[in-house]
Amino acid sequence: MNDRVVITGLGLICAIGSDVDECFDNALAGKVGIKEVKSVEHSGCYAHIGGENNGFVTPDGEDRASALCIKAAEEAVADSGEGVFDDPSRVGVVIGSCVGGAVSIEKFYRDYVADPDKASGEDVLKMPISAIANNVALRFGAQGAVDNVANACAAGTMSIAIAADLIRSGKADAVIAGGSDPMSSLAFSGFHALHALDDEPCRPFNKSKGIALGEGAGVLIVESYEHAKKRGAKVYCEVLGSGVSSDAHHITAPAPDGEGMQAAMERSLGNSGIKASDVDYINAHGTGTPLNDSSELGAMLRVFGDEGNVSCSTTKSMVGHCLGAAGSVEAVMCVKAIERGIVPPTAGYADGDISLMREKAGNFDFVPNKGKQRKVEYVQSNNYAFGGNNASIIYAKEDAPRKLAEPNDERVFVTGFGIVGPLGNTAEEYAANVNAGAEAKKCEECGDFVSSVGREDFDAVGIKLGFYRKLDKLSQMTCVSGKRALANAGIEVTDDNARRIGIVAGTSDGPQTEIANFQKGIIENGTEKGSAFMFPNTVYNAAPGYLSIAAGIKGYNVTLSNGAASGIAAVAFAKRALLTTQNDVILAVGADEDSETVHMLYGKIGALGKGMILGDGATTVVLERGSSADARGAKKYAEVLGSGFAHCPTEFGKYGCADKLKEAIALALAESGITEKDVSTVVTCSNGTESLGKAEEAALAGLAGAKRVNVKALCGESRAASSALSVAHAAMMLGGMIDGDAGKYVLALGASAGGSYNAVVLAKA
Amino acid sequence: MDAKQREIADKIKKILVENLRLPEEDLTDDAKLFGDDIGLDSVDSLEIIAGIDQEFGVSMMGVDREHFQTIETLSKYVMDNLDK
Repeated sequence: MNDRVVITGLGLICAIGSDVDECFDNALAGKVGIKEVKSVEHSGCYAHIGGENNGFVTPDGEDRASALCIKAAEEAVADSGEGVFDDPSRVGVVIGSCVGGAVSIEKFYRDYVADPDKASGEDVLKMPISAIANNVALRFGAQGAVDNVANACAAGTMSIAIAADLIRSGKADAVIAGGSDPMSSLAFSGFHALHALDDEPCRPFNKSKGIALGEGAGVLIVESYEHAKKRGAKVYCEVLGSGVSSDAHHITAPAPDGEGMQAAMERSLGNSGIKASDVDYINAHGTGTPLNDSSELGAMLRVFGDEGNVSCSTTKSMVGHCLGAAGSVEAVMCVKAIERGIVPPTAGYADGDISLMREKAGNFDFVPNKGKQRKVEYVQSNNYAFGGNNASIIYAKEDAPRKLAEPNDERVFVTGFGIVGPLGNTAEEYAANVNAGAEAKKCEECGDFVSSVGREDFDAVGIKLGFYRKLDKLSQMTCVSGKRALANAGIEVTDDNARRIGIVAGTSDGPQTEIANFQKGIIENGTEKGSAFMFPNTVYNAAPGYLSIAAGIKGYNVTLSNGAASGIAAVAFAKRALLTTQNDVILAVGADEDSETVHMLYGKIGALGKGMILGDGATTVVLERGSSADARGAKKYAEVLGSGFAHCPTEFGKYGCADKLKEAIALALAESGITEKDVSTVVTCSNGTESLGKAEEAALAGLAGAKRVNVKALCGESRAASSALSVAHAAMMLGGMIDGDAGKYVLALGASAGGSYNAVVLAKA
Repeated sequence: MDAKQREIADKIKKILVENLRLPEEDLTDDAKLFGDDIGLDSVDSLEIIAGIDQEFGVSMMGVDREHFQTIETLSKYVMDNLDK
């Protein structure tokens, strides 16, 4: 098994430098890059500072998030030496981001508010987080697993953990992994509205008065040990185990007891087979807000004690909080600390602060102001995010002793569904309407297929007014579909199983309506007038975050964003996560919304009126390990066999070549141990767009005998909701909920504008 | 509640309905905003402070919690502090 995963290349840009060595040397010297912000208008705000890299000018025609990421990726790829890309189909790209194209979003809505006709479709294509990994893949020709991780401030750490999992499960030889986020009015105004900004450079764990925002990108070449050795690459360090958990507490605030943070830290240690006392250095999340710092410090003291054996610092005190890039910027700092045997400090300590810190943290070592030489064999890096998502990962010196958790070899089954869409708000209603040949709801003015969620839906799943009034439509649909799916599967979430139930969510466009409303508000009223109520909903992982809170789910929690195929990608990803993490059940959710705003955005890029009709909804597919399903006597609708993905480097917004869809299908069939002639039914991914239809016809040439089903013809191109629905529909056919003999094996397909293709094989259970 | 306070209370109610997506029918003058009745939290209180500042030019940042209890107490505080 390829269980050894190493880092072979580094790239970094942030407020204290434009390459890895400049940033790390400045960090060791305690240089603070937080000063007056230039790229956001903040004259009416109470705080004015942040960590920008003003020397980096976004190239014309590009978005800043992608441009920063490509800059860091170029450095990392060059650093990794010759031969990484020998087989491009084995090279993936996994990028974390929180606000994605926020700079382009601001530009678009500034133009739009001035004159709706002036706002350009080119800017629309730069908005979504999906664009970033696609742009990186296009730049370097990567053709393997391409995805974005959208778990807000934990995304950068998760992207590296996911890259390592892809390599360990044999899906890639190398992955360009990291994170990127720009300074933006969206984030500045949002954190200002929450009164979470410090008006002085932040002093995490020390004064804890708030955060300073930062910007930047960190990119790492994550590679299989064998692949790296074979090509004679330099190895910086190894990536060991990781841990992901959810608080199920509050959409913005961490749980005060820090239990979820502690669970993530303990899982990363446990999955690496090392003890807390082995850890030499912790790069803490340490944002500087009072709530984060007290929860996190409590959790660290419980895990590591207060003797001072481990050194802990937060580099955010120098570079600011880079949100979705934070974990990847910090990863580069950790890797350099291992390489050079010196750990970066926490800046901002004044005389007297240290004795005050002794009172609350004993001898715990915060590495004040200057880097410190010491043994650095094992490093833990931690990040926590809106939605209550916690992530922790271990980096170690090459050959350091470890005993990684073994993946299990259980079978994975579909044991329930929750479907909110234009054909009804439960799986039962969906199946009944499909069987009856009923027509889906359409909006009269715009012609799109539309879902609607109301008070009766929340009453039915036991979500109270005080909770659901906060939700935007994406979150509403997600919460109802997730809660319905748990009920449909007969799963009751209890204190005992909460940490063994997880969520993998996929979304193409995220909460674009809430983002538009928030951004238009600050364009019209000023950065200082951002809505504290709306801001938490503008992050892509808010919807699954709300679901985790509403359902009490405390296990795995990852949000993926890579176009319309994100829903089926979530199913494939969830299956892998059931084998490699301590979860018995994972809800794979695909969700995307339609609205006047979303309709306008798709109109701007010229995607409407060419055969494609938009829709919206949320589909939850309950995936469960066989042992868990058997133990509780659950009904198994279908077995998830294998999956495949392939990427055709394509300009973002266009569909890629047929060859890569064919390759994704071949990979899925091979992993399932079947051939084209075994497939009895195909749930197709075509959506009325001519280029995609042609690619699909060509890719399915060898499957002419199979029955074809298409859910987008029933309820529109609901993007991630449709691609997850393709899997749900297949499982319902196999399980007898939907009429028509599906045969034994069903192949479900997904396609994203940007060039990514996914295939999943389901079998009769 | 006199006519002036009534007018302020109605404007506050409108802020709550529009900015916090609360159903108007649940917003009686004496409904406990942060208790079991409506269930607001600290993020909502920031939104109320911002809305009242914008509408009336009255800053409620750092003001005692008791003034935030109901629409009645909010409107009384605003009335007492208008033009100060």
